[in-house]
Amino acid sequence: MQTFRGYQREDGSVGIRNLIMVIAADECAEGIARAISEKTPGTVVVTNYNTCMYGGNEEMIGTMINAATNPNIAGALVINMGCGSITPDLVAGPIRATGRPVETLTCIKESGTVSTIREGLKRIAKIVEHADATPMVNAPISKLLVGIKCGGSDTSSGIASNPSVGLAADKLIDMGASAVAGELLELLGCEHILKERAVTLEVSEKIDQLISDEEKRWHVEGTQVETMSVGNSIGGLTTIEEKSLGALAKTGSKPIQDILRINATKLEKPEAPGMYLSETTMLCGGSAMHFAALGCQVILWTTGGAGFNNPIVPVIRVSGNSQLINEDIDIDATGIMRGEDSLEKVSEQILKTLEGVINGEKTAIEDFGYAYCSLIQKDQRVERLLSIPAE
Amino acid sequence: MIKALRLNAADNVATLLENASKGETVLVISEQNESLGELELLQAIPFGNKVALRPMKPEDQLIKGGVAVGKAIKPVPQGQLAHVQNIRSLNLDIPEVMINEIITQMEIEVD
Repeated sequence: MQTFRGYQREDGSVGIRNLIMVIAADECAEGIARAISEKTPGTVVVTNYNTCMYGGNEEMIGTMINAATNPNIAGALVINMGCGSITPDLVAGPIRATGRPVETLTCIKESGTVSTIREGLKRIAKIVEHADATPMVNAPISKLLVGIKCGGSDTSSGIASNPSVGLAADKLIDMGASAVAGELLELLGCEHILKERAVTLEVSEKIDQLISDEEKRWHVEGTQVETMSVGNSIGGLTTIEEKSLGALAKTGSKPIQDILRINATKLEKPEAPGMYLSETTMLCGGSAMHFAALGCQVILWTTGGAGFNNPIVPVIRVSGNSQLINEDIDIDATGIMRGEDSLEKVSEQILKTLEGVINGEKTAIEDFGYAYCSLIQKDQRVERLLSIPAE
Repeated sequence: MIKALRLNAADNVATLLENASKGETVLVISEQNESLGELELLQAIPFGNKVALRPMKPEDQLIKGGVAVGKAIKPVPQGQLAHVQNIRSLNLDIPEVMINEIITQMEIEVD
């Protein structure tokens, strides 16, 4: 696997899908965005569900903008209602700067909802034309960034699916590709192992700092915040450390190049090939949008039987749980739990499926159903109260 | 016979590879599939959950995969389920209401 066939973007990146993003820059534009998307195949709606105000929502808008410059996205239509401070140009400007075609519409300037939908359909047709004319190229594997995440973890995740994904990630890095994992809370208790893998002392200190920041966010005395799902525990995981130990296995064994920050002031992206950690959330819907924003073309996702899916970044699902595995799962790792299959064999299956998917083959549930494109952000006021630095 | 997998020689728990009933004898195996001996379960233990291989006292660490991933909050006899009803995190606990929910949903026998 030295190359893949993808869509050449103006900024030099190469996508494995050729999609158009319809952005509702504020919650009031959601219906308009959906109406346009429903009539236009190959489009994905991303909504700022929160407010129409920019101050305090910089991180979320940053994730939205960066997701629109994902290699799988050819161009975007940005719509807002018009009475808030998140203007379409605020969102469209950085997307346009990557060379992608972007159109903007403000509902109250278009004489209302029906007119905006009508105009939006005209504008998006131009972007579709541009997307359809995108040249296909044989891209070197160094252009590939793979997101790695677990969801619905149980004991089999730590024994079967996560170690086989970790081995596949090691092989991808050896080929010259890059991979990125996140979910820092679920690496709590594994800092000493991760720090040994850091390429520099600076990265090692950053790992400590960002995992400890994440613990502060979730561990607030007197609050009853769930840090693991009930399903995780019914599946046999007793403590966050036990979950972490299993979660760590999916990051493989390669040196860690950096731990990428995602906050109100920045969204760091990989600069050289290799294995990365990031502040990608452990919450599934939001994590896929973080991976999209970081530039991942594809996600490897370990689970029991949950059909997690994202409309921008195809998700390859791996399960080692024979009681939960179902038609949604792309890779069957249950043989490892029965002592019949080796990690080596399953990691090869993962790479074979990945090779198909990055060359245009559909995953088990691509085009069928998707998680919501949740845009997660940290509350800047809470960050301040918890004394977590913004830099 | 139902098997329970011990991941590391330092471990004091093994993971059940199938659902097992109270009083059932299970075969403890190593990562290399070697037999390590038999063990009688003091309570039903579902697939993926852990059985204590040795008795634990309060504050004793739970070792899995060679790493401490929790501590006992009450005595855990050999053959008992080691889970949320008798083990806590070393760093960050699950909220008490969720623990009760897990115990209810899993129908864990709490002594």
